[in-house]
Amino acid sequence: MGRTLQKLYDICGALAGGLIICICLLISTQIILNATGRLSPGLLPSTIPTYAGFSGFMLAGATFLALAHTLRAGGHIRVNLVTARLPDRPRTYLEGLVLIIATILVGYVTWFMIGLVAESVHYGDVSHGIIPIAYGSRKAYAPLALACCWWQSCIHLSTWFWLASRSYPRQMRYNHV
Amino acid sequence: MSDPMIALTLLGVLITLLALGVWVAVSLSIVGLVGLVFFSNAPSGLIIATTFWGHSHSWVLTALPLFILMGEILLRSRMSDDMFTGLVPWLSRAPGRLLHVNIFGCAIFAAVSGSSAATAATIGRMSVPELTKRGYPESLILGTLAGSATLGLLIPPSIILIVYGVATGQSIARLFIAGLLPGLMLISLFAGYVALRAWMDPDLIPPIDRSYSFKEKIVASRRLVPVALLIGGVIGSIYGGLASPTDAAALGVVLATLLAWASGSFSWALFGAAVMSATRTSCMIALILLGAAFLSVSMGFTGLPRNLAAWISDMRLSVTALLVALTIFFIVLGCFLDCISVIVLTTSIIIPMVTAVGIDPLWFGNYLVIVVEMSQITPPVGFNLFVIQGLTGINILRIAKAAFPFFLLLLLGVLLICVFPQIVTYLPDLMAN
Repeated sequence: MGRTLQKLYDICGALAGGLIICICLLISTQIILNATGRLSPGLLPSTIPTYAGFSGFMLAGATFLALAHTLRAGGHIRVNLVTARLPDRPRTYLEGLVLIIATILVGYVTWFMIGLVAESVHYGDVSHGIIPIAYGSRKAYAPLALACCWWQSCIHLSTWFWLASRSYPRQMRYNHV
Repeated sequence: MSDPMIALTLLGVLITLLALGVWVAVSLSIVGLVGLVFFSNAPSGLIIATTFWGHSHSWVLTALPLFILMGEILLRSRMSDDMFTGLVPWLSRAPGRLLHVNIFGCAIFAAVSGSSAATAATIGRMSVPELTKRGYPESLILGTLAGSATLGLLIPPSIILIVYGVATGQSIARLFIAGLLPGLMLISLFAGYVALRAWMDPDLIPPIDRSYSFKEKIVASRRLVPVALLIGGVIGSIYGGLASPTDAAALGVVLATLLAWASGSFSWALFGAAVMSATRTSCMIALILLGAAFLSVSMGFTGLPRNLAAWISDMRLSVTALLVALTIFFIVLGCFLDCISVIVLTTSIIIPMVTAVGIDPLWFGNYLVIVVEMSQITPPVGFNLFVIQGLTGINILRIAKAAFPFFLLLLLGVLLICVFPQIVTYLPDLMAN
């Protein structure tokens, strides 16, 4: 179970990385179009419609898809000034408390996100721009809601890990860029 | 409950959560929730969902993962080796000699990367062993490295300035351009300090081992030329109004990749590692920004920042007094929090207060960055100290002691931009006209 989920997180992480590369390629293509538009107007179309909108949505996708992967890699910042000085056992309990707090919050956000998606589907919301993107469709909201769910299940899993093995707090190092 | 009591309660909740080790983004969101649920009558669930979604897909924020990726790619190329061999011949006659490699190496790397920890790691990996081998004093090696690496935060492209710009709605391009002169000012302060130390105590610095002809200098630094072109291209296109920071970032990634391939020793595996590392970092920062955005919205509902701003302007506090108080506050905060957290906390509470007394938010962004730069080299939580400790194995307090003069130099820098705000505002004003 743990290994399957880890694989899922890594696949999502890789997808997020792929989205960032796509953003880069999309914007670079637009820059090339700008340049050719100046040098020889009319040779190529001058803009990619809604490219700013698309790169924004890809960014949202990348952020939410990478959440679980980043958490497992110890990438999210937290302050370990106090906890690092505690003996092993209290630290382990504290870690459990922290995970419960985080799980509740993420569950709360996910719940209301799903509500928001349901509402968008119901009213058929679309985004601004030349190419309207249906907010209710898979393109915009689904990655977000799904990734939130994954993140939550990831925390659940981590809680389970924590109960199962004492080595858990050591895995969750305090990392920073 | 009265406003000060609400503020204290929320602050207490935040400090408790952070001390427990709850992730910064989660802590910010919870404090926002507490504010909404207990001190306003707005629908908290709906607001958190719409804020999280609404702030996650902005065009401006798109520059963030791209600039991080550009730095990550160059970090994995041969750049740190090239930097050392390229700079040594030029600096071997300067007072303080090769110690300046740390300063200028960090400054150059800061101009391609937005992170101070990455700057310290890249430059330090090469310079610390080389300088130690040649007999330079340890305190100055560590101090120059820790101090100059903080330039990564200020010299564009700066991740912190993107965070500040996104959180406060300032133009990223103007913030970047405003960071140039203060960056140059800090470089000169650091280099001046090293030269002064060398001049006061000539025995401190080992003698030159060889001298270089002009041709040798050019040959040695030929690999730095593409990097210089990349920096010039990215910053120049933003300054000239040819590209938005996001466009420049995308182009920077493509050019950095080509550069890394051309220099050899770059592979698909390294490229993949760079992309994944950038993905994680940008995910972490974006999540904190979402938490902070929600906290700002929540604070808006409680009316706290507005009342605080009114309270501050009622006190008729002079701008100087406010800045002195804020500087002390940020230095203390920076001892315990990382720079991104300091910035996002500030934007939700302090920006209304600052604009109420008539401080330019553009200037304030640069002021804030220099102040949080100090937090990178103050114990117990100073990320440059952690990185250098990881690099050398030297005790963190000894590194902090070596970095202390540079802390004071940064403070001097803050003082200078307070007295001469034109250092920050001159170039953006020029760009506007």
